[in-house]
Amino acid sequence: MELMSHCKSKTIIMKIRTILNPIQILLAGVIFAITTGCNEDWLEPKPLSFYTPSNTYNEAAGLWASLVACERNMRHEYTGDGSPILTEHIFSEVAVEGTTDKSGPAQDMNLLITPDADLNSTNTNRIGWYWEEGYNGIKYANTVVSRIDEPQDYESEEEKNHLLATAYFHRSLRYYRLTQQFGDIPLILEEIIEPKLDFYSTERTVILKKMKADLEWGEEWIPEVLDRGRVPKGALQHLLIKINLALGEFQDALDVANRLIDGGPYALMTERFGVDANDPTKNVVWDMHRPDNKATFTNTEAILLVLDRIDTEGNSSGIISMRNAVPFWGSNINTPIGNKGTSDQPNIAIDQVTAFGRGIGRLRATWYHQSMIWDDENDLRHAPGNWMDMTDLVYNNPDLLKDDIQDPYYGKNLEFRNDEGAILVVDTIRSWFSWPHYKLYIPDPQRNQPRGGHTDWYIFRLAESYLLRAEAKFWLGDLAGAAADVNAVRTRAGAAPYSPADMNIGTILDERARELYYEEPRKTELTRIARIFAMTGKTAYNGKSYNEMDFSKENFYYDRIMEVTDYYNKGVFTRHGDTYTLSPYHVLWPIPQSSINANTQGHLNQNEGYSGFENNVPPLTSIPEYE
Amino acid sequence: MMHKFYNYHWLIVLLFCVNVTQTYAQNVQITGTVLDETDLPLPGVTILLKGTTTGTTTDLDGKFSLSASREGVLIFSFIGYDPVEMEIGNQAIIDIQMNPNTSNLEEVVVIGYGYAKKRDITGAVSSVNPGKLENENPNSVQDILRGNAAGLNVGLGVTAKGGGNLQVRGRTSLTADSSPLLVLDGAIYYGELADINPNDIENLEVLKDASASAVFGAKAANGVILITTKKGKVGKPVIKFNANTGLATMAKFPEVYGPDGFISWREDVFKSINAGGYEPYQFSDPRALPSDISLEEWLAYDGSSGDPETVWLQRLNLQPVEIENYKAGKSVDWYDKIFQTGFRQDYTVSLSGRTDNINYYWSLGYLNNEGIRIGDKYETIRSRFNLEGTINKWLSVGLNTQFSASDDSGVPIKDDPAPLYTNWNLLRGLSPWGSEFNEDGTYKWRPNDETSGGNHPLYNLSHTNRYEKTISLNSTIYANIKLPFGFNFRTNFSPRFVFSDRFYHKSSDHAEWGTQGGIANRRNQKEYYWQIDNILTWQKTFVEKHDFNATFLINAEKFQNWEDNMNNNGFEPHDKLGYHGLGAGINPVISSNDEYSTGDALMGRLIYSYDGKYSTTLSVRRDGYSAFGQSNPRALFYSAAAGWVFSDENFINIDWLDFGKMRLSWGSNGNRDIGRYVALSKLKPEKYFYQRPSGDLYLVNQLYVENMQNSNLRWERTESLNLGIDFSILKTKLTGTLEMYMMSTTDLLVKRSLPPFLGFEYVYDNLGQVDNKGFELTLNSTNFERNNFIWRTTANFQMNRNEIVSLYGDLGENGREVDDLTNKWFIGHPIDQIWNYKTQGIWQSNEADEAGVYGVKPGDFKIQDVDGDGKFTNADRQFQGYTEPRFRWSLRNEFTLFSNFDVSFMLYSYLGHSDKFNQMKNRDGFLDRSSSYVTPYWTEENPNNEWARLNSSEGGAGGFDVYRKKSFVRLENISVGYNFPKQLTEKAKITNLRIYGNIRNVGYFAPKWEFWDPEIDFTDPANSGPVPRYFTIGIDVTL
Repeated sequence: MELMSHCKSKTIIMKIRTILNPIQILLAGVIFAITTGCNEDWLEPKPLSFYTPSNTYNEAAGLWASLVACERNMRHEYTGDGSPILTEHIFSEVAVEGTTDKSGPAQDMNLLITPDADLNSTNTNRIGWYWEEGYNGIKYANTVVSRIDEPQDYESEEEKNHLLATAYFHRSLRYYRLTQQFGDIPLILEEIIEPKLDFYSTERTVILKKMKADLEWGEEWIPEVLDRGRVPKGALQHLLIKINLALGEFQDALDVANRLIDGGPYALMTERFGVDANDPTKNVVWDMHRPDNKATFTNTEAILLVLDRIDTEGNSSGIISMRNAVPFWGSNINTPIGNKGTSDQPNIAIDQVTAFGRGIGRLRATWYHQSMIWDDENDLRHAPGNWMDMTDLVYNNPDLLKDDIQDPYYGKNLEFRNDEGAILVVDTIRSWFSWPHYKLYIPDPQRNQPRGGHTDWYIFRLAESYLLRAEAKFWLGDLAGAAADVNAVRTRAGAAPYSPADMNIGTILDERARELYYEEPRKTELTRIARIFAMTGKTAYNGKSYNEMDFSKENFYYDRIMEVTDYYNKGVFTRHGDTYTLSPYHVLWPIPQSSINANTQGHLNQNEGYSGFENNVPPLTSIPEYE
Repeated sequence: MMHKFYNYHWLIVLLFCVNVTQTYAQNVQITGTVLDETDLPLPGVTILLKGTTTGTTTDLDGKFSLSASREGVLIFSFIGYDPVEMEIGNQAIIDIQMNPNTSNLEEVVVIGYGYAKKRDITGAVSSVNPGKLENENPNSVQDILRGNAAGLNVGLGVTAKGGGNLQVRGRTSLTADSSPLLVLDGAIYYGELADINPNDIENLEVLKDASASAVFGAKAANGVILITTKKGKVGKPVIKFNANTGLATMAKFPEVYGPDGFISWREDVFKSINAGGYEPYQFSDPRALPSDISLEEWLAYDGSSGDPETVWLQRLNLQPVEIENYKAGKSVDWYDKIFQTGFRQDYTVSLSGRTDNINYYWSLGYLNNEGIRIGDKYETIRSRFNLEGTINKWLSVGLNTQFSASDDSGVPIKDDPAPLYTNWNLLRGLSPWGSEFNEDGTYKWRPNDETSGGNHPLYNLSHTNRYEKTISLNSTIYANIKLPFGFNFRTNFSPRFVFSDRFYHKSSDHAEWGTQGGIANRRNQKEYYWQIDNILTWQKTFVEKHDFNATFLINAEKFQNWEDNMNNNGFEPHDKLGYHGLGAGINPVISSNDEYSTGDALMGRLIYSYDGKYSTTLSVRRDGYSAFGQSNPRALFYSAAAGWVFSDENFINIDWLDFGKMRLSWGSNGNRDIGRYVALSKLKPEKYFYQRPSGDLYLVNQLYVENMQNSNLRWERTESLNLGIDFSILKTKLTGTLEMYMMSTTDLLVKRSLPPFLGFEYVYDNLGQVDNKGFELTLNSTNFERNNFIWRTTANFQMNRNEIVSLYGDLGENGREVDDLTNKWFIGHPIDQIWNYKTQGIWQSNEADEAGVYGVKPGDFKIQDVDGDGKFTNADRQFQGYTEPRFRWSLRNEFTLFSNFDVSFMLYSYLGHSDKFNQMKNRDGFLDRSSSYVTPYWTEENPNNEWARLNSSEGGAGGFDVYRKKSFVRLENISVGYNFPKQLTEKAKITNLRIYGNIRNVGYFAPKWEFWDPEIDFTDPANSGPVPRYFTIGIDVTL
């Protein structure tokens, strides 16, 4: 109705004109229509139910909210079906992709890992997820970096610096991961508000040095203790150790590790605590990984967490760890006398699905992880109750009790072969392997066949800080110091300490595998170590030395996987007929072709070994300037 | 001299008077009745004695009386009807029937914001008169239009609600909506088409070129459909009643495996899954082993013992319940649990009439349709009230109001949170050996106890309660003032209200939802939209030859929408209150979304015609819209056109040509359908939480920039040139229209792809140029016309070609503009051209080594490796066909037998397009746990070159597509109607009585497209899956 009034005057004018010469009216009317109009305010857009940058990022609270996206999205790496963390494990020596009844999953890497392939699907791999989500995190953080001076309502200069330092942390975390996963990549340090398509790859050390400088500035400004879910100073320090290691700046890595481990409020958990503290059948390793125990302030080992709770707005679809990483035990396993032995139905006499979840064996632990690394029978991380072998499960198919079957094996433990030596499992890759129950078991009351429910998850934990410091000491030649740090983690788990003579990168990697399965980004760390060997030329324990020139042809990453696993080098194939293959160039993942295609005014380099590498131009060796 | 003259003058006058007296003396009184083509009385017909001004008009009953001499000739004339001349002779009673003029050139037709003589129209317009389709009882506006207007393409609607997408001519836009603008009784209509009762429609006009649609400026680039609803006709009040009922039956659904076929197919599945190697006859029926394999050996493959049949079925991954049912011979045919024969009913009653001062039309309709899926249902009550009062010589006022109340609870929608209808997709997966019921007689949630084996089709439905109703009220209230000197001023105020509620409850008795303690949701939506049109028109004829028709418009509009949404779960102590007790849950989530937009427009148009032979139209319109409100809120659009009735020229003298007209138009239109806020950056809010040292959890908001803003966003603009020829030859036996056009769309509103590492996938931007050109031909012919038999044919043919001329203007190294590989848009190519890997049949057994190079096996698809590098990259993608039809045609034949028996049938066809046909890969879903559609597949023993082995591998070309031609011809309907003879009906005081019946979607022929109907679109739930066939019978009564 508002318009009626403000257009009315024109209506009247037009009425008056009706008595004028028609031709004049015609001309006047057309000119009138072209030159004037209703009030300009009339067309002002009015966003009603959403925030826009101009009305939100000019307040401190708005910028903090931008960083909440960084915190929340760290969770996506671990949650959901076929979560990205699986890809980090599959591209390492601890596990392979176990979906054996079809082609597509990352098994035949030489065939499937290409720039043009589908790199972001639960049915293939999640390389593309890391690429996109990594840069999403950078975008959220850059919003804060670019607009840090806009809000006028900071409580103090400290708050402003705290905010900026937190943004630096998130941006550095993403660049750390991306440079280890993809090598040389485009560097974006500002909020992008209009189309920009002229990027070039920046040399990864240039990026890492900038991140290091940002974190060193920020270390002063982040408080040591913050509410769980936020980024405390220790998280920044933990990341800074990794970046220093990646740059080969081992003394700086050691210094910051000392500040974190010796100077911070953290300590390894060595005593029983939390919800099951009074259950004598459990132990501290079990306690460490209970969903209810991770975020409590009693837990002094947790540095950085992502939070996820049942029936809470903003939660995820669950960790799905049991579906992803428990064997596909519910079918294809016969009793020694040939009956279908197992059942994944809930609410049956022996309900194993509620206790262990309905696994589909997507993440299939290698023999290295199941057996080779376990050198101490007192190690709680491999102890009965915490660790599950297939033979710990029992034949639970209720049909075994039927009159016409009456299988005597009902309720007995699973067996791999019968007396004649026949293998009783249809698919040994997918349906028969061991797993760390203490870590993967997450109650999932909202599903009939649990897959792994809602739980907080460790992003950084002091145990890893110790292992990183051990690494720094190792590279600096302090084997005794390295052994002390590794042993801090080992002895907490009840295992006997190593001697300094035992220390090499292999033993540190073994300890990481024992302690950090399903937590650490294994491929990222393995590539980082391979790069250190190439940068330093140091001879590895396998007797080989490497260089940066041939990094994609010969590297510690590939040699390590070939050394300790039997899949990629033995021509193992799945029952669907797909062969496991891997090549040295997989030390770096392919830059997704879609990003190369869309960056029409610049040029992104492709990594050696992938098609498109031949078009590379030299990467930028300084920080690019943008208008 | 003067004197003389005056004398003579008087003499002349005197003589004349005498003469008149003499003539008068010979006059006779003549009476009679004028009827129209349907034998209804025709009031208001002018009757003149030829060569005089003597005359009269017919009364309400079509009767007249006048006196005239026996030598005289009477001329009967009425707008829209062929004039009739009749010598009086010896007749005293003259009863005549008048027919509508076939060329109806003098007819006044609706154009945007006014009327014009059809003769003066310069734009490309297709008209559809629903009256001709009465025997087909169209259920929706789309049904009326489908195949009946050249240049307008109507998608299929497969649900009970029906419908289908509309598109005029080619695709001009890459991302903005391309459905045409709807104008209902002169006012732009943004409501739902389903709210318009097709029985209320008098006429539909499709404006296709810029000249015709330019008056709608910014909204008209995709064409305009003008819908005119019925008005009362002069005469006594008329009641019309229309009732029809019918059935919806399955026309096309692919076959799935029955109990026996399932087992042998599953055997082949396992052989193919285990392509890595398996023991001889490992998956075969142990009762048919060859002599060299003993049962013991066979059992020992996996250490089995016991019943070999059970072992065999276990190896085929049959679940215990399936094995049990198999042995007991208890199979289930899931088809009947998913599909039904739907019952359809549609009733409309209307009352209309017209007196000198009041014209009224009121209708009330009820429609209740069931679809072929159990639970697919649509019910609506629709009412329309059109009223016009003539107050005095210069003022008339009126209103057109439309009300609808629909029950949308059972209407399939995208991402439906709580469907009340079956999921047809389940049929493919459900094992015929599963169990339908639990022991207690309730539906078994998972019929074979296997997660991937599918759910009982009725299980979710039986645990869902839903209420979804929409009430909408759409009105145009107007006043019309006649001013001196041919001016006329009209004001329209068109408000629209929509109230929509959706509540649902998913019960905690459900196996899955129960773990969440039940789920309930309420969503309320309210929409208020209004617009005002102030229209000044001027019509004047000078010297009987110069016709002016000028129109000026001032318009403003405002849209407002309010929506709130609440969700909860975990109801304590129970969820029996359902969606009525939303507060009882433990996890409330609320949200709201309000929207607002405004627009305005100024428009001027002049139609000038000279002597009925030459006409021109000029128009200019300026539009404003708040979605472009930051830098470019307004834009100007204009058009110019000329028409020439060349058959009226003296120098053209062709016997067989009755009428010929040439039209040439040029103009520009805009497109603003991009969403209200796309130019703005939107921050995406989501919840997250932190935990205090005390252990308390508290919620925090995340806010990140979801989309990149573009304050310079402006209107998409289409310029088009149209050449049209209208003709009528052989005494109107053949009439037709030929249109040729070229359209060029610039400043396209596109989702410009950005490199993913920017953190944005795309930004809305104005870029590039897309050209369309095409050709349309409409022919109407009367093939045969005798008293007892009439045969008429209408044929439409159309083709459209488009080409991307420019995208972002980025030049590559070779100086050529670069393509958008992400969206697969290429400079110089059509938007719809396919660019992908190309399949070349299937690898055969003797090619195992070559297949191995690509990591695949015999039975897998062979994909062309263009550059021979053994990898699949962009260099291996090729252009191969188009996804939009290259040609379309439709053909309607109508027969009238014994003047009251009508038969018609209609065919239409889309030709030359291709689509993905990935069924041929035979790798859908979990074949080892579910059933499947019956498709051919490759095996070593039974190879072929088209269909891959079961569970085939894609090798290094992951996600490749197989394409197939999709051309088809459809027999869209066959209709029969019978009009009862007047002699019979009049006795019962019934003016008209008609019965009819029809079959819609009788069948189709698609030689290369097996499996599914070629018209369905799997991205749209209202248009995918099984396609129904409808049988209907109905009755029309006019009192």
